[in-house]
Amino acid sequence: MPVYNFKTMAPVPSASDLVDIVLTRTQRKTPTVVHPGYKITRIRNFYMRKIKFTQQTISERLTAMLSDFPRLSDIHPFYSDLCNTLYDRDHYKLALGQINTARQLVDAVARDMIRMVKYGDSLYRCKCLKRAALGRMCTILKRQRASLSYLEEVRKHMSRLPALDPNTRTLLLCGLPNVGKSSFMNKITRANVDVQPYAFTTKSLFVGHTDYRYLRWQVIDTPGILDHPLEQRNTIEMQAITALAHLTCSVLYFMDVSEQCGFSIEQQCNLFRSISPLFANKQLVVVINKIDAQPYDTLESDKRDMIERLVKEGGPNTTMLQMSNVSEVGVSSVKNHACDKLLASRVDSRVSMKKTDSVMNRLQVFYPTARDGVVREAYVPESVLRERERAAAEGGEGKKTRKSRIGYAPTKDDDDDDDEGDETPAESGDEMMVGNGGGGAGDGGRRKKTARELMWENGGPGVWAPDYREQYDLLDPEWRFDAIPQILDGKNIADYFDPDIEEKLRMLEEEEDRLQAEYEAADMERTDGHDTRLDEMETAQVAEIRERVKIARAYKDRSGGRNRPALPREIRGRIKDCHDDDAKLKADAIERRLARVGVDASSMLERGRKREREGPREKRRQSRNARGDAEMEDASSGDYDEDGGVSMKVEGDERSKSKGAIKRQRKERVESARREQSMARSHSRPREPSQIGLKDESMAKVARMVEKKGQRKWFGGSGEGDHTKSVHLVKWCNTGKKRNGTHYSR
Amino acid sequence: MATRVSFENSNEIGVFAALTNGYCLTGINRSENFYSVFESELGSHIPVIHATIAGCRFVGRTTAGNRRGLLVPNTATDVELAHLRNSLPDSVVVQRIEERLSALGNIIACNDHVALVHPDVDRETEDVISDVLGVEVFRQIVGGQALVGSYCKFSNHGGMVHPRTTVEDIEELSSLLQVPLVAGTVNRGSDVLGGGLIVNDWSSFVGLDTTSTEISVIENIFRLTGSGSSSGGGQRMGQGLQSNIVTNMRSSLIDQLS
Repeated sequence: MPVYNFKTMAPVPSASDLVDIVLTRTQRKTPTVVHPGYKITRIRNFYMRKIKFTQQTISERLTAMLSDFPRLSDIHPFYSDLCNTLYDRDHYKLALGQINTARQLVDAVARDMIRMVKYGDSLYRCKCLKRAALGRMCTILKRQRASLSYLEEVRKHMSRLPALDPNTRTLLLCGLPNVGKSSFMNKITRANVDVQPYAFTTKSLFVGHTDYRYLRWQVIDTPGILDHPLEQRNTIEMQAITALAHLTCSVLYFMDVSEQCGFSIEQQCNLFRSISPLFANKQLVVVINKIDAQPYDTLESDKRDMIERLVKEGGPNTTMLQMSNVSEVGVSSVKNHACDKLLASRVDSRVSMKKTDSVMNRLQVFYPTARDGVVREAYVPESVLRERERAAAEGGEGKKTRKSRIGYAPTKDDDDDDDEGDETPAESGDEMMVGNGGGGAGDGGRRKKTARELMWENGGPGVWAPDYREQYDLLDPEWRFDAIPQILDGKNIADYFDPDIEEKLRMLEEEEDRLQAEYEAADMERTDGHDTRLDEMETAQVAEIRERVKIARAYKDRSGGRNRPALPREIRGRIKDCHDDDAKLKADAIERRLARVGVDASSMLERGRKREREGPREKRRQSRNARGDAEMEDASSGDYDEDGGVSMKVEGDERSKSKGAIKRQRKERVESARREQSMARSHSRPREPSQIGLKDESMAKVARMVEKKGQRKWFGGSGEGDHTKSVHLVKWCNTGKKRNGTHYSR
Repeated sequence: MATRVSFENSNEIGVFAALTNGYCLTGINRSENFYSVFESELGSHIPVIHATIAGCRFVGRTTAGNRRGLLVPNTATDVELAHLRNSLPDSVVVQRIEERLSALGNIIACNDHVALVHPDVDRETEDVISDVLGVEVFRQIVGGQALVGSYCKFSNHGGMVHPRTTVEDIEELSSLLQVPLVAGTVNRGSDVLGGGLIVNDWSSFVGLDTTSTEISVIENIFRLTGSGSSSGGGQRMGQGLQSNIVTNMRSSLIDQLS
């Protein structure tokens, strides 16, 4: 069930305020520095961002406004009608519609202008386009001045509407002006409605609450209604009519029999008849008011007949009651009767709609069926019973019943009047429990001081704490404050807390002895059955096993076993530790290793050293790649001797060739590469999507590079989105000789 | 008569205090306000004691007990145990339990004659409960909740269970416990009855948010108005004497709940 709370709507700014808000926000939240020297895409982005941001801000604000205001078709018909009466539905819808249109227009403007900025070719043009865009958006907002101010007025009024729940239990007071509706409201609730001796004192709906039968009841006081056709009713009366039409409630129709209100009984009856269609399906109580001025019994008989006929016309749900606000005769009976009728009808509808099934367990008390003959007594101390009796006796005289209290410790002077404010003015003694004052309040001055009182006397919370030992219930009260150490003679006192600890210990020890004896006896039996000695063979086997275990353990524990990190060979080879003789690629180690298998490694090592001297590896690799073909040829020819080394051989080869041969060779190489790249048509495949539209591989390469550059992560440094304002050193202010004048005036 | 109390602005007063027919424990607080509520209400009848368990003040959830005994979890220190032993009368047995589920208040719900326990407690614990508290022990769940101490509350006069408990379950529980039962809430609709409600055979305390309807139900089912005959446990009250909940309050309850 929705809760109608219009108090949370955010204020609607006026048009000029809204423009200011939006532009300031754009200025604050978007970068502000741009230079003509920037790349044009960056400049365009800068201005597009400004336009987009402004549009987003505006549309955010307007959307919030639109969602804040309730849609009249979605809310409860009572509220929808009330809004129609108070603010005029058409006007309301029109205003919201215009705001919505404005939002769409702003979106369209932003879209168009962003499209144009994309073609801006200089900073100046982009800036002009931005100015135009922001200007157009602000103009659109300024045109909404009227709607915005209207909506703000509506919001203010709505937030002041009473918090009225259309679905709860409601008593609705209605009748002609001045018949005593508001006085009755003041009698049964604490709404404190203004009561004056002239008509239309109450100009809008007022809501009060009252308690009856454990429930909270909403009482609605309506403005007086005059008897004329619906079309002629003014806004004030229409509110009452709206409430009557849409709320499921108990209606109290007030009639002034003394005719002090200025309307005759006949007029009052006519009004009843003219609005009686609104009473359909409602509980109706015709309240004969002001019987202190004109008792009903002494009323002229024709007027009495008129009223009684009226009640008869009202149908079966109509009853008549008499009361007076002045003498308070019948006030509570009217309230109780109206509440009872409404409650009964509500309960009937709930029961008939089978809504009570789910809460059946809470409506019923389940009594046990006796499962055995045991009597399970309650335990109430004698002192409690005595106190109850005494309180009952006192209560019999004083007639002072007490409600359940808000719990704080009662003090001497507040034991009687702590919840006066909770009581409604009307008598409602039936709804609360009857109880006695707690804690021996009857003793008056003899009562012991509570810890709370002592606390306040001694400095308040956090300063004073009671001595918890005072309450100790010991054999001799003298012992209470004895200092008892936690540890005494190296023993925990708590372990000796038990008075018969010695006895228990003895029993434990006995049990342990007994168990020990039993265990030993059992053990003897078991070993008797078997021969535990081993023969020679078995002894030898055991010795062997033990030996192996010992060896395995020693192997595992030896230094240099597996218990050190295993390095990959290439990394171990790289180690330049002169103390590590096993380093794989160390020349000495290689020589030693090869010598061990009978290979003379001296020439090989020599070759390696030579290679090392030639220069860094990288260079070698490059040269090798460049001359790949020649080398391949050489390699295939099997001309691979030890002393020269491959590269030397090739160089010598190339040097020996003629220039033309080298050129031809190079050309051939390029051709072959190209041939390799261009595929036969039969083998052609579609290009990758990212390369479609690029002429050839080289263009694709360029495109890839650019793409990569764009995707590169950007660390550190400041950008135009930063909020910091760094010191801006202007070149012409800070360089050159500084002779005359200052930095600023040069 | 039920008293509305709050503990440092918390409505879960059952966490910070434990009440039985023989004694009352309250958590230690900077201010004595909470303690004094109990002191003024009960002080002239039973001892009201400041206590901590394992240095913590949520004594209501960590302990369980009745008139005959008090069970504390194994986290309670020796000094705390000594304090409780010294403060309580000799008729109350104080026992520390070695139980894995140490929030005894949540897993045990008991009056002077019967106890409901969490289905997972040790067998030894069950024996200790029945020996120390002198009760029949039943492993049960209430309203689909295993924490029986949190979701039901009963005295010798009557009891209240989790609002989602089905009618059949309540009937079964009622015949187990031999007291009249009703499903209900405290603290404006909270189903944690152990947290919002502290009750013994002649007094009760509820959280500050509890509505007057809830209080009326509580007072009726626990028979705290002082009008009914106070001797004789809940089982004495037969079908013939209808409870106020069924007669007077029915329409209000229907209107409020459905």
